[in-house]
Amino acid sequence: MVPANEIHDFHPPIAASGLFWVVPVPEGALTISEDGNSLTLEMQNVRVIDQPRFPALDSIGTPARMTFKLACKSTGEPVKYEDASKHFRFTGTRASCQLEAHVEVPSIGFSWKSDPLNASKAAFAIIGEEVNGRYYDN
Amino acid sequence: MSKIKIPEEINYKRRRLCGVAAVTVAAARFDMFGSADAPSNNVSPAQQPMTANGGTDPYPIPWLDKFGSHNQAAGPNNEPSHIYHFKGRVLRCNAFTGMGTDNQGNRIAFGAPSTDYGVMQGEYWAARAPQHGTFVHI
Repeated sequence: MVPANEIHDFHPPIAASGLFWVVPVPEGALTISEDGNSLTLEMQNVRVIDQPRFPALDSIGTPARMTFKLACKSTGEPVKYEDASKHFRFTGTRASCQLEAHVEVPSIGFSWKSDPLNASKAAFAIIGEEVNGRYYDN
Repeated sequence: MSKIKIPEEINYKRRRLCGVAAVTVAAARFDMFGSADAPSNNVSPAQQPMTANGGTDPYPIPWLDKFGSHNQAAGPNNEPSHIYHFKGRVLRCNAFTGMGTDNQGNRIAFGAPSTDYGVMQGEYWAARAPQHGTFVHI
């Protein structure tokens, strides 16, 4: 899981459309605070693959399951990213995020569980609103 | 629209093929007689008239990363969403670090600069119409 000696890499497969490692979120899995400043996503048994050699084109993906909780909170520091040539505009704030996860690879009898949520951190996080593509000019 | 002329000989063969097809369809209908699953007009769902506006799955962002994927690393001034033709709430975070334990009791770190998540909730354009959904990039 660390690049120099990475032994597992869990993510959904790339969709036929090219949509990259994206899956639908089930009803009720995402909780957002009333003020919109905090967000918690909890998903169970997401079908993923373990693909340690990605991005090698011949990297093999082994079916796996992931259960995770992602919790993020705005810091209040404003952020705006816009690129007219790429037709996107993001307006929001920086955020702090923490993650706990449990993964299983049944075919090789492997499982791994992270330490509790508060033992992790993300070096970069933003939360806000975005428009892109056909919505950019509207 | 260009037109294609059908020579008499080929047209004749086509009529013969149609005749064979008619017999086959008649036989198939006979087999289905009395089936509880048969549509009332005896036409299978695959043969029903239908719209053809494309699927409702989201479009990927057009931009390619250095590995040729429709993916942008999370970071300042980068496209936060993985879905194109999108407007709504976005969370983007990466470079997680933490620790965990596998089922053999081994302590294994997780996280890398590319360990990222993204949440997208809102409206997106697909199948030539607005769609609504919540998605996560893992």
